[in-house]
Amino acid sequence: MFARAVLVALSLVVAGHARADEAFIVNQTGDSVTVLDLSSGKAVATIPVSGKPAGIALSRDGATAFVTSPEGRSLAVIDTADRQVAKRIPLEGGPLGVAVHPSGAPVYVADWYGSDILVVDPAAGRITKRIAVGKSPSGLALTPDGKLLISADREADQISVIDVASETQIATIPVGKHPFGVTIDQDGRRAYTANVESDDVSVVDLGMRKTIGTVKVGDRPYAVALAGGKAFVSDQYAAQVSVFDIANLQAAAAIAVGEYPEGVQASPDGRRVYSVNWFSNTVSEIDATTLKVLREMEVGDGPRSFGTFIRKTP
Amino acid sequence: MKVQFLAAAAAVAVIALAGAADAHGPTRQKTTKTIEINAPADKVWAVIGNFQDASWIPVVEKTEGTGGNDKGATRKLTLKGGAVIEEELDTYDAASKTLHYRITSVDVKTLPVNNYSSKLTVKDDGGKSTVTWMGAFYRGYPNNDPPPELSDEAAVKAVDGLYETTLASVKEKVEKGS
Repeated sequence: MFARAVLVALSLVVAGHARADEAFIVNQTGDSVTVLDLSSGKAVATIPVSGKPAGIALSRDGATAFVTSPEGRSLAVIDTADRQVAKRIPLEGGPLGVAVHPSGAPVYVADWYGSDILVVDPAAGRITKRIAVGKSPSGLALTPDGKLLISADREADQISVIDVASETQIATIPVGKHPFGVTIDQDGRRAYTANVESDDVSVVDLGMRKTIGTVKVGDRPYAVALAGGKAFVSDQYAAQVSVFDIANLQAAAAIAVGEYPEGVQASPDGRRVYSVNWFSNTVSEIDATTLKVLREMEVGDGPRSFGTFIRKTP
Repeated sequence: MKVQFLAAAAAVAVIALAGAADAHGPTRQKTTKTIEINAPADKVWAVIGNFQDASWIPVVEKTEGTGGNDKGATRKLTLKGGAVIEEELDTYDAASKTLHYRITSVDVKTLPVNNYSSKLTVKDDGGKSTVTWMGAFYRGYPNNDPPPELSDEAAVKAVDGLYETTLASVKEKVEKGS
């Protein structure tokens, strides 16, 4: 009994002293990345990134952020602890969606002007392969075991399933109209796509290779976050985050946030969800249990953070 | 034979354009213009809050549409000079005096934008009111390296000009009428 009390007390102390998680907010028109301390809610650094950056992927260990610049046609490799761009890798087309393999490499970049996923070796700083998918690939996500890469092929109204080992498309699965963001659950069983033109989310069973449900959400959904058995969907035109229960696919709430929410992601502990509000230049912090907005934090101009942008600090 | 060929070529060009219209430049632009009007919000909303009557926009000659102020309502604006813009209503909230619509069809020669959406709000400010007009859009050229007339700057300039001229006109109209 006594030992347990000591343990609890100790863990409280440790929790109190741990560094806060951070959000890396990609400001497209601002040509920068704002680092938000999620404890204080304040910006602690601004990292210049040219070329109208939009997409982001954080490495699993949180040490590196990969940021795409569609206009600059390049990938910025950011050292998250140093708050600096360590390297710029020249790419081609319109690089937007980005994902990093759980092992740290390679990095996958979707060329939304074309029909290819670029496989990028971040250490060598070059494209090693182009994987053919459907037209205008947008969002990318990997299963947690690193075996499958999923791309939302916007103009093809489908997702592509890519075998990571052979670097080839092995299946396509029809979803709603113009899928943009794609998110995979922690078990690697389901993928959720936000379908911009049909105003819904497709729920895809990756094992069965088929869409098992469609959930209506608000106008112009952009991306999906998962936390506490619920899906949180950023609805750009509706300026809200739609919430539905992932067990029964029933709508649970619509939470008003800033104007044109785009990137959306849950905190590592699943207690908070963050929406990046492109028009308002803010990030809304949502309590994933009460479904209330806790605060709105100021960032740079035209924030998007399309991808994974929350860094669990060591 | 030659006529047929031209017609076929024209059809191909139309298809190519239709495909291009679906895409857009890489960086969405935004602008916000506000104006304070010395009149109650209800009075201002009565002028600008009917989706089926865009006569408060000076450049509009005629509004034709269906669906009233319901979500999904459409309207066709014929501008002075004959150009046409087609729009659709996304949200309408009379209580908060907010409407949100988007352009479904416009020639970039008329307005050099793609994927344009817009939100109009009237807020009461103690007997006065503030009108806020927000626009989000991509430039007219759907790819990298745009010609100057279809650049990001050209798109923002055109929308800014439209908002400023129109809001000034609304202010004048409402304040004179009161």
